[in-house]
Amino acid sequence: MAKEEKRRPFGMAQIIYTLLVISIVIPLLNPVGLPIGISSTTRDVYNYIENTLPAGKPVLIDLYYEMAARAELEPQVAAVIKHLFEKNCKLVFVSTITYGPIVFELLKSTAADLFADKTYGVDYVFLGYIAGNEPAVRSLATSIRGTVAVDNYGTAISALQMMANIDKAEDFALVFIASSGTDTFGWYVRQWYTPYDIPLLFGALSVIGPSIKPYVDAGQAIGMLTGQRSAAEYETLVGRKGLGLASMDAQSFAHALILIFIIIGNIILFATRSKPKPEGGRRK
Amino acid sequence: MIELIGGWLAAVMIVWIYSFVYKDNVLYRLAEHLFVGTAAGYSIALSLDSLNRTAFGQMVKGVEYWHLIIPILLGLTFFFKYSKKYYWVARYGVGVNVAVGAALALRAAPMANIIKQINAAVLPLWVAGDPLKTFNNWLMILITLGGLTYFIFTFFPKTEGKAGPVRIAYKALVTIGIYGMMVGFGYLFANTIMTRVGFLIGIILQYLQPRFDATLVAMILAIIAIAFAVLKKK
Repeated sequence: MAKEEKRRPFGMAQIIYTLLVISIVIPLLNPVGLPIGISSTTRDVYNYIENTLPAGKPVLIDLYYEMAARAELEPQVAAVIKHLFEKNCKLVFVSTITYGPIVFELLKSTAADLFADKTYGVDYVFLGYIAGNEPAVRSLATSIRGTVAVDNYGTAISALQMMANIDKAEDFALVFIASSGTDTFGWYVRQWYTPYDIPLLFGALSVIGPSIKPYVDAGQAIGMLTGQRSAAEYETLVGRKGLGLASMDAQSFAHALILIFIIIGNIILFATRSKPKPEGGRRK
Repeated sequence: MIELIGGWLAAVMIVWIYSFVYKDNVLYRLAEHLFVGTAAGYSIALSLDSLNRTAFGQMVKGVEYWHLIIPILLGLTFFFKYSKKYYWVARYGVGVNVAVGAALALRAAPMANIIKQINAAVLPLWVAGDPLKTFNNWLMILITLGGLTYFIFTFFPKTEGKAGPVRIAYKALVTIGIYGMMVGFGYLFANTIMTRVGFLIGIILQYLQPRFDATLVAMILAIIAIAFAVLKKK
């Protein structure tokens, strides 16, 4: 049996992978347009930015994700940036991961419409990658100018018009952390929320959602967006069609397929369990 | 032109990396090694740039920043790890690094990670006019207590003889804790699938270009990768 399987050019795993790819490609090519409801979690975030966040105030955005996570996090970031720019907020981008400068440039090129009428140094700045993890986050809370001398492009922080009155945690109205890691959220809860009471907004991968939800439930963050699903909901709310909405049909089909596999797997398991074991041997 | 070459290079690497789904092959390993090497080189370059902007760039601003020489020197002690004779010097850098990290985290951790979380678990057991909220609060409290009880490894009620109220309560809480955790794991698993499928969608969307030649080249690359694996198998 094992030898027969070895000779097969295409095994069960490859069949499952192929079906999965088909279930994603077909809805991407021919969108069905399945309805998308807005969850209370996403609506809470939208309502906070719309109604509670003071207009024109500075917002810190930490881009802590690598290229692989772009598909899940970039649509969220783009939708939130659109909303923040609509409220004339001043955006200070920073990254505590080395991939930050790349993902920031990719964000600017894929969401060029958001930055088209905005001026660097007046409406937004990018401080670049800052090494040091949690101590670096703490240092930024104490003083940006004391932490980093120049922005990502070598311009002195003091020469950036927007940064004239922005230096420490108290100067910010909100921190948006878009992270593919779990620890990043804890750094900001400990170094920005707990000592300074600065509101935090989490943008996370779906898989990280359950780990950071306790922070949101405890009121340590104003809300969280998780994965493409939240991105699609936020894109609907701010009226900007992006990757989040584009991928929802594919997500639904892929999940349905995996659900079918789980049901079939369980049926096979129960069917083989009910068979009596052969004497002195293992069940086949 | 450089962007075009970069785009095609990325496309080639993605196809070769995904060829692992069929089977391990030489093109997959080539792409993997190229990625690891490039990522390591990029991280070193970015780290040096960060050092320049956060330390040297500050020091030239004035004498009030000269104290930054201390962390720079402590950081340099890390390289003594490569010396058999003076490897112990590296311990000073590591020691300070660990101490600073721990001190900063511990300063706010009791409030952020313990007290606030306990506060959040203190919920009203009766919410007038909202039975769903009441049910949710009961569920939350019972599962929290059940989960905590499951991880108590130093106390077990006696198992012999007639079951007393302590043993019954203990068993009930542990059972609730187990079921609560199972639901949690299910939630986590579903989210894991969503993330992985999301990554795949992101990659596939890069290939669903309106240009036919791009898709054709991608398919040829995939066939080459699979052919390598099949030939090697034979």
